[in-house]
Amino acid sequence: MTFKNNLKIILAENKKTIDIALSYPIFLVFWGIAPLLWLLPFVFQGKALVGGMSSASFKALTGSANFLPFILIGTMVSTYIFSGLWGVGNSLREETYWGTLEYIIASPTNPVVVLLGKTLAEFILASANVTIQALIATFFLGVNLTLAKIFPVMVIVLLLLIGFYGFAIAFAGFTLLIKEVHGYVHSLEWVFYLFSPIRYPVEVSSITKTLSALIPLTYALVAIRGIILLNKHIVNLWQTMLILIGMDIVLIIGGYLLFQYLERKTRQAGTISQY
Amino acid sequence: MSVAIEVKDVVKKFRRGRRLKKRDIFAVDKATFDIEEGELFGLLGPNGAGKTTLVRCLATLLIQDEGTIKIMGKDIYSNSLYCRRQIGLVTSGERTLYWKLSGRDNLKFFAALYGLDGKERDMRIEYLMELLDLKDVQNERIEKYSSGMKQKISLARALLHDPKVLLLDEPTLGLDPQFSRFLRNFIKNSLNKEQKKTILLTTHYMDEADELCERIAFINRGKIVDVKTPYEYKRDLPHTEVLELRCSGIQNCDELLKQLQSLNSVEKTTANSVDHVTNIKIILPRAEPILSDTIELVRKQGKILGINVEQPTLEDVFIYVTGTRLSEDTAEERPATKD
Repeated sequence: MTFKNNLKIILAENKKTIDIALSYPIFLVFWGIAPLLWLLPFVFQGKALVGGMSSASFKALTGSANFLPFILIGTMVSTYIFSGLWGVGNSLREETYWGTLEYIIASPTNPVVVLLGKTLAEFILASANVTIQALIATFFLGVNLTLAKIFPVMVIVLLLLIGFYGFAIAFAGFTLLIKEVHGYVHSLEWVFYLFSPIRYPVEVSSITKTLSALIPLTYALVAIRGIILLNKHIVNLWQTMLILIGMDIVLIIGGYLLFQYLERKTRQAGTISQY
Repeated sequence: MSVAIEVKDVVKKFRRGRRLKKRDIFAVDKATFDIEEGELFGLLGPNGAGKTTLVRCLATLLIQDEGTIKIMGKDIYSNSLYCRRQIGLVTSGERTLYWKLSGRDNLKFFAALYGLDGKERDMRIEYLMELLDLKDVQNERIEKYSSGMKQKISLARALLHDPKVLLLDEPTLGLDPQFSRFLRNFIKNSLNKEQKKTILLTTHYMDEADELCERIAFINRGKIVDVKTPYEYKRDLPHTEVLELRCSGIQNCDELLKQLQSLNSVEKTTANSVDHVTNIKIILPRAEPILSDTIELVRKQGKILGINVEQPTLEDVFIYVTGTRLSEDTAEERPATKD
């Protein structure tokens, strides 16, 4: 297959995934609103504890007193991350369920190319969800998200996602081999929730602070909050960007090689069509 | 004529059992056969015989443990991309398509996987829709299709890239008789005779194999038992008649079969029971001399509902050669101990 052919396969897979997703419109609405519904209890809890939307101790840890934008940014970025992990990681299980995986694997296309198409679709669908969240946050929760900051934020988000999708592709390989990955995805979700600053600053504990350094999401969230809440310029975040680029290279190459290995193992085990 | 599919000493084992009791089970055991270009070749065997495992090896979905497989002269392991372009795959069952997409969108997606796009793709889809009489429903979602129509789309998918080799794994399984007939005609006349495709058809329907295939490999418990034309199989059978009895009230079938087996010149006896009705088959050179003894033995145990004397079918040949009925499930464990 030429590069042009592979690009067309990515676009065909992207179209197919979005068409199938759009055939269940209620799910799109649900996934657009649900993350905010998860967020609200934390907002109310925070309000009850500090008696308003800002806290001096929160400012001491993060540099910004208002915790709502802090949590909102964490929620929006984690929407990208977790939808990618669920969408790409679990996508081959869906193909198995539909009975179509064997036909993809038996074609002359590298399954990783198909996964890239699924990645693109997940990115588009997650972007739609994040846009809904941003609109609700702006119009109903009074959060001020400046358009001028979107471009640098998107650069950081993309750098985060490239590596993360590499990780999700490796996860798709595990789905091929072990079929049931819900437990693993949930465990990973809670590792991220606990050790990266999605809902609270990791500085609250020395353990979370130390372990958060191993998770790319930490660097991205710190950088994005720096841009949005503390008006930092992206140029001053070059160290974060270098770390993310380094992690991208490791995760993309590692994810690809691991997927190839796991796919071959699955062919040997004869479990491609099982679910 | 050159060889399109070459299977040599192929072994596929699976690990089965729990923890310490794990052991290797031979799904395919030293399978060897060749299929010539343009040939319609059948793989006939009961459920669990290893047909689908072998097809999956040929389609590169499974990596065999031993032996070599060549498609159009090239090894499928070292030239998997080339071989996949030569192969069109059809499996049984309805769930092989995207039900939320239309038939046309399904084909467009799979066409992309084979590097087809633009006008070439559209013309090919148009041709296949016309050929399979699907034009009227091509823009409807698959979920609205009947089983037969879904299988037609599966067939169209296999033909999208105009492959030289078709692997048809029980393509008529679960279809109603009308669609089965259509599919059989299509396979024989359009795909094999007109388009000169090399076809490997797996089935456990002996009349399907008999009607369609030029040569047939019998597969049982993972082993290729024999490869011949349907005519050769029947000709080489040493007996010429099959005595069939339909009975009810048989209490001890094994004992009855033993007694029948001891009758003069009986070569093989088999029985299967469905809803308290037992069908007994006796294979022998001539049925008439043992007819009265047979009736007497059966009457001691139950009631005779019907008697029939027939010429042997492929199923009878299969029973003679393997001792197993095609309708039996032979998926029970086959430990990896060699003869």
